[in-house]
Amino acid sequence: MTAPVSFLGRVQRDRAAGRVTALDIGARRLTERRLAAAAEYPAMEQMRDAARAIRLDVLANLDRYLGRFADAVERTGGHVFWAADGDEANDHIARLAVDRGVRTAVKSKSMVTEEIELNAALAAAGVDVTETDLGEFIVQLSGDRPSHIIAPVLHRTRHEIGELFADELGVGYTDDPVRLNAIARRHLRGIFLNADMGISGANFGVAETGGVCLVTNEGNGRLTTTAPRIHVAVMGMERLVPTMADLAVMLEVLARSATGQRMSVYTNIVTGPRRPGDPDGPDEVHVVILDNGRSEVLGGDAAEILACIRCGACLNVCPVYRASGGHAYDSVYSGPVGAVLTPSLDGLADHADLPHASSLCGACKEACPVRIDIPEMLLTLRAEVAAVGLAPDWLRRGVRLYAEAATRPGLWRALLATGGLLGRARSSWLDSLPLHGAGWTDHRQFPPPATRSFHQRWKERTRGA
Amino acid sequence: MAPRVQLFVTCLIDGFSPQVGDAVVNVLERAGVTVEFPFDQTCCGQPPFNAGFHDESRRIVHHMLDVLDATEGPIVVPSGSCADMMIHHAPDLVAADAVRFAQAARVAARVREFTTFLVEDLGLTDVGARLEARAAYHPSCHGFRNLGIREEPERLLDAVEGVSRCELADADECCGFGGLFSVEMPDVSAAMMSRKLNAIEQSGADLLVGVDVGCLMHLEGGLRRRGASHVRIRHIAEVLAGTPEDER
Amino acid sequence: MEREAFLDRVGAARSGALLPATPPRRGAPSLPRLPDADLAARFVARLVAVDGEVHRVDAGDAASTIDAILGRHDAAEFLAWDEEAIGVPGLFERLAAAGRRRVPASTPADAAGRLAHQAGYRELAAAITGADAGLAESGSVVLVSGPGRPRMASLIPSVHIAVLRTSQIERTLPHLIAARPALAAAGSNFVVITGPSRTADIEMTLTLGVHGPRHVHVVLIDD
Repeated sequence: MTAPVSFLGRVQRDRAAGRVTALDIGARRLTERRLAAAAEYPAMEQMRDAARAIRLDVLANLDRYLGRFADAVERTGGHVFWAADGDEANDHIARLAVDRGVRTAVKSKSMVTEEIELNAALAAAGVDVTETDLGEFIVQLSGDRPSHIIAPVLHRTRHEIGELFADELGVGYTDDPVRLNAIARRHLRGIFLNADMGISGANFGVAETGGVCLVTNEGNGRLTTTAPRIHVAVMGMERLVPTMADLAVMLEVLARSATGQRMSVYTNIVTGPRRPGDPDGPDEVHVVILDNGRSEVLGGDAAEILACIRCGACLNVCPVYRASGGHAYDSVYSGPVGAVLTPSLDGLADHADLPHASSLCGACKEACPVRIDIPEMLLTLRAEVAAVGLAPDWLRRGVRLYAEAATRPGLWRALLATGGLLGRARSSWLDSLPLHGAGWTDHRQFPPPATRSFHQRWKERTRGA
Repeated sequence: MAPRVQLFVTCLIDGFSPQVGDAVVNVLERAGVTVEFPFDQTCCGQPPFNAGFHDESRRIVHHMLDVLDATEGPIVVPSGSCADMMIHHAPDLVAADAVRFAQAARVAARVREFTTFLVEDLGLTDVGARLEARAAYHPSCHGFRNLGIREEPERLLDAVEGVSRCELADADECCGFGGLFSVEMPDVSAAMMSRKLNAIEQSGADLLVGVDVGCLMHLEGGLRRRGASHVRIRHIAEVLAGTPEDER
Repeated sequence: MEREAFLDRVGAARSGALLPATPPRRGAPSLPRLPDADLAARFVARLVAVDGEVHRVDAGDAASTIDAILGRHDAAEFLAWDEEAIGVPGLFERLAAAGRRRVPASTPADAAGRLAHQAGYRELAAAITGADAGLAESGSVVLVSGPGRPRMASLIPSVHIAVLRTSQIERTLPHLIAARPALAAAGSNFVVITGPSRTADIEMTLTLGVHGPRHVHVVLIDD
């Protein structure tokens, strides 16, 4: 494969480090909760269908909705910046920070700012940035990367986090999540109330009103968009809904699919800066609309992946993700959605193995609240991998030989007969296969070829009849 | 008039588990069905297709279509995965060629997964089989999710005299086979398999039954690697036909 | 990038996009089809299920109930919406008589004044707000910011008391938006609050009161 460390290499590393078990347990629990929430809500399937229709409508008319959204943001007194890529977004936000005399910034959890590595750009501009979602705070403190799009430290144990806090925050060791949480709350509270800039992502932008919707459970999203005098929201350009009524539909499925909650604790819609007479809220609101490869995805084979609402249901239900750990996907977007999104946004060359990191079992498609056909897109990406010559040579050669045999019935039957000779010589299951077959026999025995293929048996059967 | 069907036996059964093909024929014939076997058949094209090699897959699909389109009647396939390929992917793969597409659509419309054919088309659940076993059923993903094969195999199993059923934990979770996935991502595949084997061993079953020999070959290989096990692994056709233990 | 260039690029991409065909959408999406339920009872059950507390009272008892809740949490100070926005006449008088002080809510516009004001929020015990609506299915209260309605009140203290009326309860958020389409953009902030702040980031262990309130009390007035 082409990546310096392959998907499999990263899996082996994380499994060896014991990072995968905690993630597997957490992801399974999230799936159980999703299923329970769907089972008790009789309108779930109706809302999923409606949510899918809304998201596909947005994608099919994206430029129009974006224009409408930007106009609405500006009507409410907000500012819009159009960022073609991560560099443009980062430069703009860093310049804004410098221009407004920003020394400290707080961030609520946002995958899109991870995607463009905004923190590094702000640090270079002299801005002290603090992640405030508990999970992201732990990620930042330990120099780690998120392993799950909604639960960033699903791979970490309480013991590790206790040690991290003791080392980095100068507190006594505890592995009690309640006490760890209290430590983080105390530490972050002063930082929040002193911050000059709050940076968030956007779960949804509402084209009709210019509202930016942020869904959180902890309240850090609200603090980020309330306490600092400047709020910057970075939004992937596809994350729109046309109207408030449409947003309400999305919210009926989002929390249920993500964590099994009926609603997240805080569904927060920011519609422009503080208005005259408002006792609090930011004086400035800036919305950065980011392309960063999305228009190419929209024009390509995997456009439907842009309908994703980042609930994480496909990760939780995916047996490959749970056995691999989120870091194996080498991107902020992990699991089935990451296996499609990362090569689509970032190019196949560095991620040719991701579309192959799936048994095509289809559990992701079944779980997706907007019913994205992820297996179909993985198959399409696999075809692109092969077409541009990124597939491994052994696979290409093997497939060609197989196709030769499978299109020549005489050869096919001759090979079956040869297999039968081998099967007669060795009738027990094989302990090792040569070359890439070892991938099989490292973990399993391989059956001997049938001494008489079905073709031979059929011939004997009809001869006897 | 006795119904007449074409058997598409699949490459794995042909080369590794031909007793399953025999079992399918026996069950169908006992049900009064005339079985024909288009002798030039090879493969449905799925392995190269899933690997991303569409040109190679398309060549195999063309051959498959030519062989099957020359016949008549339902095409019975004892594999949910291959049936899914023939029904859903083959037409897409040849869609650029109107003549081929029409041919693929004709064939797709005739393809019937084995248990679905028995239960839905023949209206048969009790085929008169007998087997003393505590059986767990593994629903293979492509049949389960892509073809919606949910109850048919279980109803057939429930009707086998002497079979009692054991619940398999997380039954609808993938066993980790995934065709070439099992060779390309061996560690991941094996971790998934290991979980499935644990569930099977903890289910109390002494027999695991499925409708796809790919998954079953992978699970049996894993079980054999573990050493002595009281669990046997069989395709559902073998159970329904009463295939003897040594007939493998 | 300029807006026109950005949108042109998106327009070119979506015009050829290979998206699954869906039936055209006409008008607002249908409301969730749910079997009938007693909205107030459902609201109470669902809020309790997410660790909120509900105090169902007659209008005349609201002020004393709020006073008692503040007493339970030893709250000598509180942040609050204006009395009119809470909708409990005589509330502040009653709380003042009990020796409880209302802290100022208005954040100064200048940067330094803002930080100085917010420093006073660090140890804030409690806050009282009204509510613009309730959602039965999820046990949520809906709050819209505006003059006399600080956002911080439902966010910064460890105890949040919200006053809601049974007549304000809708079934779900789609029902609320259908009934009151202008509400969501009526203020610069619209928030749906469903129980106390929570996280399960550490080993999926539920912990309450992360950044927002640890306790959410809804004083539900039957009307």
